Amino acid sequence: MSNPQTSATAIDGCDTLPALFRKRVADLGSKVAIREKDFGIWNEYSWTDYGEQARFAGLGLKSLGLERGDICSVASEVNKEWIFADLGVICVGGITNGVYPTDAPNQVEYLINDSGSRFYFAEDEEQLDKVLEVRERTPTLEKIIIFDMEGLRALDDPMCLSFDGLLDLGRAYAETHPEIWDNEIDKARADDLMILTYTSGTTGPPKGAMITQANMLFMMATVQRCYGVYPTDEQLGFLPLAHVAGRMFYTFAPIESGCVVNLVESPETISHDQQEVSPTIHFAVPRVWEKQFSTVQIKLKEGTALGRAAYRLALAIGERRAAVLKERRPVPLYLAGAFVVAEALVFKNIRRLLGIDKCRWLSTAAAPIAPDLIDWYWALGKPMYELYGQTECTGIATANLRDDFRIGSVGKSAEGVEVALAEQDEIVIRSPGVIQGYWNKPEKTADTIRQGWLHTGDVGRIDDDGFVYLIDRMKDIIITAGGKNITPSEIENQLKFSPYITDAVVVGDRRPYLTCLVMIDDENVMKFAQDNDVPFTNYTSLCHTKEVEDLIWGEIETVNARFARVETIKRFSLIDQLLDPEDDELTPTQKLKRKVVNEKYADLIEAMYRAS
Amino acid sequence: MPLLELRNIETYYGPIMAIRGVSLKVDQSDIVTILGANGAGKTTVLKTISAAMEAQKGSVTFEGSEITGLDPDHVARLGIGHVPEGREVFPFLTVDENLRMGAYSRTDGDVGADVEMVYDYFPALADQRKLAAGFLSGGQQQMLAIGRALMLRPRLMLLDEPSLGLSPILTHEIAEIVKRLNEEQDVTMLLVEQNAKMALDLGNYGYVMENGRIVMEDTCERLKNATDIKEFYLGMKDQGVRGRRRWKQRKTWR
Repeated sequence: MSNPQTSATAIDGCDTLPALFRKRVADLGSKVAIREKDFGIWNEYSWTDYGEQARFAGLGLKSLGLERGDICSVASEVNKEWIFADLGVICVGGITNGVYPTDAPNQVEYLINDSGSRFYFAEDEEQLDKVLEVRERTPTLEKIIIFDMEGLRALDDPMCLSFDGLLDLGRAYAETHPEIWDNEIDKARADDLMILTYTSGTTGPPKGAMITQANMLFMMATVQRCYGVYPTDEQLGFLPLAHVAGRMFYTFAPIESGCVVNLVESPETISHDQQEVSPTIHFAVPRVWEKQFSTVQIKLKEGTALGRAAYRLALAIGERRAAVLKERRPVPLYLAGAFVVAEALVFKNIRRLLGIDKCRWLSTAAAPIAPDLIDWYWALGKPMYELYGQTECTGIATANLRDDFRIGSVGKSAEGVEVALAEQDEIVIRSPGVIQGYWNKPEKTADTIRQGWLHTGDVGRIDDDGFVYLIDRMKDIIITAGGKNITPSEIENQLKFSPYITDAVVVGDRRPYLTCLVMIDDENVMKFAQDNDVPFTNYTSLCHTKEVEDLIWGEIETVNARFARVETIKRFSLIDQLLDPEDDELTPTQKLKRKVVNEKYADLIEAMYRAS
Repeated sequence: MPLLELRNIETYYGPIMAIRGVSLKVDQSDIVTILGANGAGKTTVLKTISAAMEAQKGSVTFEGSEITGLDPDHVARLGIGHVPEGREVFPFLTVDENLRMGAYSRTDGDVGADVEMVYDYFPALADQRKLAAGFLSGGQQQMLAIGRALMLRPRLMLLDEPSLGLSPILTHEIAEIVKRLNEEQDVTMLLVEQNAKMALDLGNYGYVMENGRIVMEDTCERLKNATDIKEFYLGMKDQGVRGRRRWKQRKTWR
């Protein structure tokens, strides 16, 4: 049997990313590759611009002494420089590693040291300060390159230079070494390490997943096979590029398909930018979809009675049509007609508001999502497909396809991917996308990848037709004192469906009953408090009002009604501090970290189990 | 029972909600301060209390009875003196007349004695009592505005940026007088200030407003030591790694 890890994918005759990138730049030329919003204006960058910026960035690094295999870390929100630098580094044989802009200085220190980074790209003053704070303790670090010099005019530090400065170095280097760019591109091999992606370690420190050229090319081909991306497609770039999903969709997949990536101005402007761009293909994490849903729910509450009635009627039509579509039966004429009206009067507006009107379909992954939410998008006339994957397999492992899907599952294994169940129903994956291992962590690697099979740590089942269903993270499954196995994520998803709850952590392992910690959606709950004359001063006092506690309890009771008695939540506590991604409790995508929350709020949890 | 209580006030300028659900309390004999940047809604809160603006929603309670929706003059008669931002003295009236205007609603015979009391507190005004108020310096006008509110024999005084446009020496002088009035006349103060140092030194309790909402509340002692307050309002920050302060910083309000 051939080892799938060594059979390289070729795209248009190229089996490495640098070669493919060079080809695309030459072929696509003046076609727009990237748009980025800056002070409210969408600036366009063609493939020629893209190629040039990447070339000068790469050659600039070369002139600073970058050797093949050197690590360059990038700490930035999604922006064009991140992408230019990424390709520059990769084409001259370096390895890029993404750092979340929300990482604290000690995490930055760990990432630089663990990866052994020689070069560090910092987005702005804020990111720069973090690395300057720790640079005494990062012996491998040589140069820091800053994208945005605002507020840094007076900076005079031999270790630092601006991105423009780097491009100038590269331009000068290109004059004296005209052949080096092509030479370096030709040196790339399919099994070369290309990027490091650190995975948030819920157990122990983060581990750097080693993704090769071949891994990523396989994934780029997989994205194309699953989605069918056209060069005319428009994407919205808003997920962090340090995450494998963001990187795959915004940086690498467009090099395969030639589609346009529109980069948002800042994390605060995402929803507005999405309205303007109205992407044609859109991948987002469940939190984003939940937020969209609650936006619409709140808007409805503010609307007129007529508007609400129209919405309810339209939704009923949409749901009936979706039910037929989901069974892949033809839609009866009367229903199709009714839907046209519902669409024109109601859904069109909602979809425009959310910026999904032009989407051919929607795609979700990276965290469990409530099935009701998927149904809602279907009812709006936008089919949503769930997929499943991990950093350790470079992204997608299974996906629901437009002509082959089953709601509630995460789809069948993608072409070239083998999915099976191991002990305790753990999902295991074998594919050309499975990483080589974790950077400098052979024991962890041996733990995770055994005989070529990636052990995902997820528990699931596979039906007779090959559709994969996820149950939960293996280590998250709760066994109550009564011996009952409970999958918390199922309950948590239902809770998050409430517009007033952003996230929840269900607790109950070896306990007599279930409890949960709830993080409220501050905007919506504040609005609730205002509307109902509940006095509060700040976030903390808001969480302590009786009305808010009753509101959340009401939401919990609604969810409780859908579960068996042992699975119901008996008590809850609100996290009364406004958390922000820089806090330990949250992941960069603003999800609560179960382990940290369990430790940090141990007192609150204990209180919920003290005699009632 | 607090002397003044706001519950969930919402106030609009046309379609724009300037105050988005503000609740706060002022206890008898306290000096309570509201801090916040321009446009945070501080002045609007004071105007809503004195009924110069109407709250769309929520209630204002003074000495246990609700005063929401009353006319401004009625609120003043109850003993709430408003010292507006930018002094707003009557420029063509004399100092004396300005002070007597403050007692307009009073029917008792002690007005003359109270005018003298004001002059005791503000000797600078005593020398100018026949001068048109428009000719006074900024500091003197501020004194006059406070004096005018004092003539109401207020139970609660709303002070809107008394340090606006004043020199540090005058600011200090005004602060001293506010403190003395609070102690000697038992006037409760609700003080809106951009001069956070002055306000926190003077007050017992403080609220911080941002975008029409209260984001933080605590005793002034503790506010002085909160990181965000130190950095954004008191201009104190350890110098960063580059030996200079960062121009952009995230606030957490805790």
